[in-house]
Amino acid sequence: MFRYIVRRLLYMIPVAIGISIIAFITMYAAGDPITLIKAGKPNVTEATIQALKTYYGLDKPIPVQYLTWLANILQLNFGKSLYGGQSVNLILGPRIWPTIELQLVSLLLAFAISIPIAVYSARKPYSKQDVTVTSFSLFGVSMPTFWFGIILIIIFSFTLGWLPSAGSQGAAGFVWWGNPFFDQIAHLILPVAVLVYVSLAQNIRLIRANMLEILRSDYVLAARASGLSERKVVYSYALRNAITPAITFLGIALGGMIAGAPMTEYVFSWPGLGRQYVTSTLGLDFPTIMGITMIITVMTLIANLIMDIVYVYIDPRVRIR
Amino acid sequence: MSRDNKPTAERKRRSASQWAVAWRRFKRSKTGVVGLIIVIAVVVMGIIGDFVAPYPAFPNPKALTPFYNNNVRTPPNSHYLLGTDVLGTDVLSDILHGTKYALYVGIVVTAITMAIAIIVGAIAGYFGGWVDNVLMRITEVFLVFPSLLFILVFVRVLTLGAGAGSSINFLGISIPIGLTIVVLVLAVFNWPGDARMIRGEFLRVRELEFVEAEKALGASNKRIIFRHILPNILSSIIVVASLTVAYAILMEAGVSFLGFGDVNTMTWGQILENNFSDARIVWWALLYPGLAILITVFGFNLLGDGLSDALNPRLRD
Repeated sequence: MFRYIVRRLLYMIPVAIGISIIAFITMYAAGDPITLIKAGKPNVTEATIQALKTYYGLDKPIPVQYLTWLANILQLNFGKSLYGGQSVNLILGPRIWPTIELQLVSLLLAFAISIPIAVYSARKPYSKQDVTVTSFSLFGVSMPTFWFGIILIIIFSFTLGWLPSAGSQGAAGFVWWGNPFFDQIAHLILPVAVLVYVSLAQNIRLIRANMLEILRSDYVLAARASGLSERKVVYSYALRNAITPAITFLGIALGGMIAGAPMTEYVFSWPGLGRQYVTSTLGLDFPTIMGITMIITVMTLIANLIMDIVYVYIDPRVRIR
Repeated sequence: MSRDNKPTAERKRRSASQWAVAWRRFKRSKTGVVGLIIVIAVVVMGIIGDFVAPYPAFPNPKALTPFYNNNVRTPPNSHYLLGTDVLGTDVLSDILHGTKYALYVGIVVTAITMAIAIIVGAIAGYFGGWVDNVLMRITEVFLVFPSLLFILVFVRVLTLGAGAGSSINFLGISIPIGLTIVVLVLAVFNWPGDARMIRGEFLRVRELEFVEAEKALGASNKRIIFRHILPNILSSIIVVASLTVAYAILMEAGVSFLGFGDVNTMTWGQILENNFSDARIVWWALLYPGLAILITVFGFNLLGDGLSDALNPRLRD
């Protein structure tokens, strides 16, 4: 097991470097950032542009720029933002935790809720309850997430005034529900509701479809025939196989977690990486974009490894080579 | 022996009856029929929207901002059934004018996606080899990577470069360039998943006996792929196409809402973006365009589910 993990970790290095090269080339091949930014501001002088290029090292050939960037990133230095030259580390650092907090709460909540609903729905396929559940989840998949967020804000913040509409904590001097801890929860409720609904919908569709297939399979019939209680058949025989794909899904989601949910974070002005990504991309702040991209890549690779290890425990057919 | 030896008339009859069976099965699924009705309604709206809209479309809403008229942020009333937005345009008219853009996005993204996916999927699934290897690696990267982030970068860079504000005339229809860039980027990032699915179908059908029979009869690879395997997996392709339309409309709305869209084209997502900062006041300008997106996407998703039940019980998810 230990050797397997070490080997997989070593294997990640070329993959991460490969992705960084692709991202770097696509981004810089699209045009050099300063010229692109200048496209919107015609009265910047040529001399200023040259000075800026020298300051950010953009006057060097792309391979040299890449190697400089790589050398820096290996020392965990993400470079300088094209806006004001602030360190990208300082921009991204404080935004990592809010994103993880939001995503972790929503993903786990969605996963936990989706299992009983999907099982309930799959046990009586095409019944009224099942149609309700499937329509509810299809609705969730069809809904623009950001719009759902806006509607929740309009109802619960603007009209009823029950919950905050923006940010991850109360502004100075105003704390929701009287205490900093409850204040955090108050700020989490709406964005979490949006994210939970979306992933709940996807999870339910996935688990329900698997469950339907598995409940028709021979081994379930055999389990029933040998007189096991329906509860045992469904929850310990069928469910175990039915949630495997959902766990893959959860793994992908956990890996992509750090990317945040740009739309939800944007709607709720959540101070996370997702919203930062939107802002940086609008401003074509390439060093920041590259920084976020690399964080996502590494997180995704690690999450994949963790999922592969988890598989060994949930699926006895999987063996580590 | 081979089906090709049968008289043409009989072949026609048989293939017609196959689709008739599917139609009968489709009619039985209530959700599918509801989806079909919604989709037809949206398509009709897309065609007649410009003519039935009570107010003309503003050609360039952002450029007209100095012309803020007195009707800014009017709540719904008898003149403006769904109210007016922050620019003073009628929300109902905006939604009706925007329907054609939603359909443009949905249909063109799906057409491009499917064209690439079928070609690549067919080659990868039928011949295997390096095409197959490359395709699988690409789709794996796409599966683990949040493509929304890359879509945003590409849309941003490309719309800055091209004359994004203008539009080109094609057969008398003016096509906005900015929106077309979004469409192309969405298609480029969307095809690998579908190609993977089509590859899987090709892999499955390739092993069936009738393909072997065709090979024994000396049919060319091209003929086997296009005349024999493709018709067999057409049902899966139709289902995926329907879901792709839904996905494309949803993504375009998101891209526009985040401020990356074509500001000169009032798509539904663009209406939401324009009004979001005034959400406290103009709830009507946010509720109704969003409902339009929701209903349209829901319709295509329902249709896709219904089709998948009718055509291909195996592919249900």
